[in-house]
Amino acid sequence: MHIQPWSVEFDDFLHDESRNRGHAETISFPRTEEDVRAVVRELYAGAVPITVQGARTGLAAGAVPQGGHVLNLSRMNRCLGLRQDERGRFFVRVQPGLVLSELRKYLAAKAIPADGWDAASLAYLAALAEAPEQMFPTDPTETSATLGGMAACNASGARSYRYGAMREHVTALRLVLADGDVLALRRGACCAHGRRLSITTEGGRRIDVALPRYEMPHAKNASGYFVADDMDAVDLVIGSDGTLGIITELELALLPAPDVTWGVSCFFAEESQAVAATIAARERMRHAAALEYFDPAALDVLRRARATGSAFAALPELPESFGCCLFVELQAASEEEAMEDVERLGRLVEEAGGDAGASWVARTAIDSETLRFFRHAVPESVNMLIDERRRTEPAITKLGSDMSVPNDRLADVMALYRSTLAEAGLEAAAWGHIGDNHLHVNILPRTSGEFAQGKELFRRWAHEVTAMGGAVSAEHGVGKIKRDFLEIMYGEEAIAQMARLKLAFDPAAQLGRGNLIPEQLLPAIGDSPQWRAKRDRRCADGLTCAAGEVRA
Amino acid sequence: MMHIVVCVKAVPGSTGVRMDPVTHTIVRDGGAAVVNPFDAAALEVALRIKEALATEGSTCRVSALSMGIPATEALLRDCIARGADDALLLSDRAFAGADTLATSYALSRGLRELGIGGGDAPDLWLIICGKMAVDGDTAQIGPELAGLLDVPCVTDVRSFASEGLSPGRKYSPEWMRVRHGVDEGIETVEVPLPAVITVAKDIVQPRMPSIAGVLAARAAVVEVRGAADVGADTARTGLAGSPTQVVRSFVPERSGACETLAGTLAEQAARVAELWGGGAR
Repeated sequence: MHIQPWSVEFDDFLHDESRNRGHAETISFPRTEEDVRAVVRELYAGAVPITVQGARTGLAAGAVPQGGHVLNLSRMNRCLGLRQDERGRFFVRVQPGLVLSELRKYLAAKAIPADGWDAASLAYLAALAEAPEQMFPTDPTETSATLGGMAACNASGARSYRYGAMREHVTALRLVLADGDVLALRRGACCAHGRRLSITTEGGRRIDVALPRYEMPHAKNASGYFVADDMDAVDLVIGSDGTLGIITELELALLPAPDVTWGVSCFFAEESQAVAATIAARERMRHAAALEYFDPAALDVLRRARATGSAFAALPELPESFGCCLFVELQAASEEEAMEDVERLGRLVEEAGGDAGASWVARTAIDSETLRFFRHAVPESVNMLIDERRRTEPAITKLGSDMSVPNDRLADVMALYRSTLAEAGLEAAAWGHIGDNHLHVNILPRTSGEFAQGKELFRRWAHEVTAMGGAVSAEHGVGKIKRDFLEIMYGEEAIAQMARLKLAFDPAAQLGRGNLIPEQLLPAIGDSPQWRAKRDRRCADGLTCAAGEVRA
Repeated sequence: MMHIVVCVKAVPGSTGVRMDPVTHTIVRDGGAAVVNPFDAAALEVALRIKEALATEGSTCRVSALSMGIPATEALLRDCIARGADDALLLSDRAFAGADTLATSYALSRGLRELGIGGGDAPDLWLIICGKMAVDGDTAQIGPELAGLLDVPCVTDVRSFASEGLSPGRKYSPEWMRVRHGVDEGIETVEVPLPAVITVAKDIVQPRMPSIAGVLAARAAVVEVRGAADVGADTARTGLAGSPTQVVRSFVPERSGACETLAGTLAEQAARVAELWGGGAR
């Protein structure tokens, strides 16, 4: 496998959607697991740091390299096979670089490229063509995300309200370790005993680890390693941010696509009404797949974007009386079922103080597309606003939170956001997955002073959200930019336990350097047994050890 | 009271259009049918006129009218959900296979059923059609209806002009000033009512129905009438009443075949000219 030295043509691979920029010395674009193994074996001796990348759509800088090698998996984008279990459920095996939108396209057309598939998979493909349409339910807003990246950060998105996060839909995976050995994990086949996990690699190496002792929050969570008593080894890998190994294959469980998908946007004058409606909808609606919220500032940003930008001129008109918006996606087996839920929604909107007339029901493809455009235009127009401000204040970036709390703390966390933002005098727009008590509060700084103030406010929220039993990252992962929050959430000792867990899989801490674990808990780059052995060999051979190359 | 009737056509969704091999017409089995997007804009124009008149204390009734298979009822119900007051569907085997002449005749009978075009018709009425349908692309229904009703017609209306109206007013119940597309560009004309206008797709953005609208439409009655019910002369409806006969319809064949040119430069150039010009040198 070809490891290429860095050149400017690769500079795009130094950043992701977090807009952080890193540095690296080499890059590779493997196409197969064998390619990946060849690369890591070559880099293992030198203990070269390796940053794994997919489509670089991540928002936590997990794919931003901090020196060493960039292992970009975007060319590992094939579907490898299909199976069906005795209950009729389908499972598709994919390489990690396959992009979500492609998988969706294949499933909608019931046409999966099947080059090189075995006879059994081809037979299941024929069965898929005859079966009702299937879907993969995880839906991060960015559909150009790779499935490997989605597994690495336990991505979720709007429909996780109904279907849960990525974790729930991964049934098996293959993981290449730093030394090139492979772990083949199938759900149910390898579980911890209490907090001790013992796994054997395909090469016959046994890895015994003590799992960290911390408890998971009772909220949507993508913060650090998933741990629980008697947990499945698959779950340790999902959400590990590329720090334990390189996912080279995933088996994903598919679900029958719903016959009816309708979207309803309900508008309220007051935020408290939308919160009350959310709480009622959670209790009473039977077919809600997503409950999303857009606050008054987010709607104002949209109004401005619609008035000024031709790209947003096709947005539906938002009367001034529409203060904030609760969007409900309904997925049902029939129009009758969906209609019953629309009726329930109408009642609970009125009970919450809203007006069932101030709503948009999208039942046709055109209307659904209008609502999709409306929802996606919110983050886009906020990004444009920040880009405009960066022209005069290059130091600022958007500050987007990703925190979640348990169901019974929704009103509390909303009150926290409102009071602290008002106290700080910061402009912000909030939107996101209110059904999971998970809003992205986006601070829109005008100056570098406000930017610093916003960052400080996020730290305060991390403490408060933790005290409520919530998570500091609900779906973006921790990566590099939320590492400090992880310590606030779990405490110093838990982070040390995470570091020990990582080192059991990756002794020289080559993988995902900078993600989750602070540098001081990891061996210095080059300070590893295999690196020292290599250095000693080279020096014994009479080679000159380059200055700075060795830090023994 | 003003009465606006919006003519609505069910057209196939973007995929899965099938042609009948015998009649050479589109197979309309109701699967994935949608309201013609131009007609959705026509409905929105009607609803805005109604709302504008309401602010001035005038009332206005908006009816949706369609000729189609029974499944078209669902689309008309959707028009009611979006704000139409009532809807009428003309559905009968006698209407099947109609060209634009037979369709506009049938629609004129439907308009009569709605109280328009007869001696007892209200003074103020307006027919709004989409400029054309996305499947047939003829743009003939509006002008043909105007001919049958003997009223003025303005096609391809792009916007309403408010010059000459009181401040804040965009519509007058007696006449309209509109900008519409003509071969030379855009023309502003004044048209007295009653009239037929056809509208461009992007004249306004159609609204979505509200929860209240969807629930109300569920209980609404969409009237369905056959040819005999509306006193239609069946010699003038459907295939029998259609002078247009489609002789053949086909999907143009495309070939991805590749030919590698050999020989001298002159021979290759001659072959290119042959391929390009069908043998012309």
